[in-house]
Formats: sequence, structure tokens, C-alpha cells
Amino acid sequence: MKLTLAFLISALLLFPACRTDYDIQEVANPQHLGTDHSDDCDDCEPEGAEHTEVDHEHDADTAETDLPQDESDEHNASVISGSDRHVHDAGQRNHGTGWFFNQPWAASFIWGKMVRDSLILLVLSAAILVVSGYLRKRRR
Amino acid sequence: MKPVITFALMTLRNLLRRRTIWGISIVILIALFGIGQIPSYGVSNEGRFILDFGLFGLEIGALLLAIGLASNIYPRDKEKKTVMPVIAVPLSRGQYLMGRFLGAAIVEAAAMLVGCVGLMVILVMNGHNVPVDMLPATGLLLVEGWFLLAVVFFFSFWTSPPLNAPLTVLLFIVSQMSVAGFVKLFPQAPDLMRTLRLILPHMDVFHIKDPIAHGIDIPGMYFFLAMLYGLAYMAFMLSLALAVFRNRDLK
Repeated sequence: MKLTLAFLISALLLFPACRTDYDIQEVANPQHLGTDHSDDCDDCEPEGAEHTEVDHEHDADTAETDLPQDESDEHNASVISGSDRHVHDAGQRNHGTGWFFNQPWAASFIWGKMVRDSLILLVLSAAILVVSGYLRKRRR
Repeated sequence: MKPVITFALMTLRNLLRRRTIWGISIVILIALFGIGQIPSYGVSNEGRFILDFGLFGLEIGALLLAIGLASNIYPRDKEKKTVMPVIAVPLSRGQYLMGRFLGAAIVEAAAMLVGCVGLMVILVMNGHNVPVDMLPATGLLLVEGWFLLAVVFFFSFWTSPPLNAPLTVLLFIVSQMSVAGFVKLFPQAPDLMRTLRLILPHMDVFHIKDPIAHGIDIPGMYFFLAMLYGLAYMAFMLSLALAVFRNRDLK
């Protein structure tokens, strides 16, 4: 029984496609993760810290080419308005709400992997049932 | 199928006679009532907090129910020797497991439904709207609860009840972790940890309280896929449980 299980799991893991877990942080493209706003940088300011105009200038110097057009406009708009912080529209993906939109319900690119996992599990379940039933009959 | 249903109904009556289920259900309702009493401190749309905490409470309730319902079923049957006559003639081991599981799953579904209705009542009493996706969200938590129920059955066939609960809670906790977070638990063997994580489910699939609390629509297809995912994991755990049970010597 243990050997059979070990064989089944090894066979499963041999398939390269099956070795890919669908952790969103690993399989998402950078745009989806919002890394183009340097959120993942360890040396950056702590979460919750306010961005200032100086930060914006720094961002503009270093990452202007990476930023999507609408976000750059957003930065400029906040500077023009005279606010010392930039403001994002409610319900929109940005560097502060990345965690929210990186949940499975919002990441449609992993739904295919969910189906894949479900099918593999169903096949494995059937295989385990058949093999364990066969082994039990043989023991009798 | 008829013997399984008959045995499931027998299990259902058996479980309803026990105090555990009533105790856990009352605790869930008291917790929901307490969540409804949290002051808003002037924050607008206080309903978000009630909904968020309430659905989290239902998830923890599903875990407690799974442990409370299933961890003692097989050990008690074995101790009282009732499992012997049951599987001697009328039921196969598979039918025994399915009957017991179905009975417990019905009780869990009823308890979750009561919890969901309780949360809806609390939202209405506090003057908030009940989101449209409230029932589907509870449905996903129920599927998660059924998966945990299957896990508890699996552990109950080869561990003692006191060990069953911590093992299930441990699995519940690690299943919430990301791959990177899980690998960090034992960074010396990243490949082994990645393989282990691959086998464990991603519980975040069942968590949709954030978009519901913020009024974001969720595609209907997602509910279907998440249900399929949870039910597939449940089937996998049940087949593992049956494989272990078939190997058990009941004498």
C-alpha cells in the first residue's frame, strides 16, 4: 500500500506541469503583482508609510519607464493638487491594494491550474480506491 | 446507495443526540452576536467589519465542527465494538465511511446554514444590507468544512482523538500559507517543502470575504471552480481515509 502510494505520488510529481504550484506570488506576471511600483523591495519604506513629493520625484527618476501611463498621471495629478500624498481611486489595483487583488478570486490566470489540480486529485482518488480495494481482496 | 443513506441518517440522529454539536453551534452564534456588538467608532460602512469578522467566525466554526463531529465517531465505534457487527454483513468498509461522513456532513451543512442566517439577521438588525454573495460565500466555507471533515476522518483511523484535533488544526494552518511562506518553515530542504506544499490544499481559494465586504462582484465561474477544487480535495482525503481503514485490523 505504502509502495503504491509512493509510486502514485512520484508519478504525479514527475510531470513537469504538475510540479508547478499555483502560488500567485510565483506564477503571476509582474504587472499583476504590481512589482512595477517597487513594492517588493526590502529596502523600501515600511508598509503604511506615506509617500511624499520627494518620493514621487525619486519614483519619477528611477521607475518612470516601468510605471503604467495612468499611474504616472495619477502622480502628477496629486502633485498639481498640492497634496503631500497621492490618492488612488477606490477599488482600483495599486501598490497598496496588491494583496487584495492577488487573491484567487481575482487572479483568473490560476483558475486553469485549479481545474488541473481538481482533475489530478479526482484521478488519484479513483486510483487509490481501486488499488486499495484490489490489495484488500488479494489479502483475503 | 440505500444502505449508505440509511446509515447516514442513523449517524445524523446519533450526532444530534450528542451535546458537542449543540455546544459548538451555540458558541458560533454567541460569537456572531458579539461581532454584531462591535462599535463602529465613527467608521463609515461598519457592515464590512461585521461581515468580515462574521465570515471568519464561520470558517473557524467549520473547523471546530469538523473536529467536534468526526474525531470521536470511529474511535467510539471501535471502543464500543459497534463497528464489528455493522461492517460484518450489512455494510462494506467504504459504505461505513460514506454513511458516517454523509451524516456528519449534513449536520455541518445545517450548522453553517444556521450560522449564515444568524449573520444575516445581525447585519439587518444593525441596519446594513445583506450582500448577494453571502450564501455562495458560506457555501465555499461549507466545502472547506467538508474537506476538514474528511481530514478528521482520515486522522481518526490511525491516531487517537487527542492527537486528531492538533493535527487537523496544524493542517488547517499550513494550508493557509503561501508556497514561499511554507518553504521558509524548513529552508534547508526547499524541494521537499515545495513537494509537500503541492500536496496540501490552498485554503485561500475558499476565502471571498474581502471582495464581499467591499462590494466587489465575483464571477459565477469562480464559485463553480472553487467548489470543484474543494470537493476534489475532499474526495482525495476520503479515498486516503478508506485506504487506511481497509488496512485496519478491527480485532
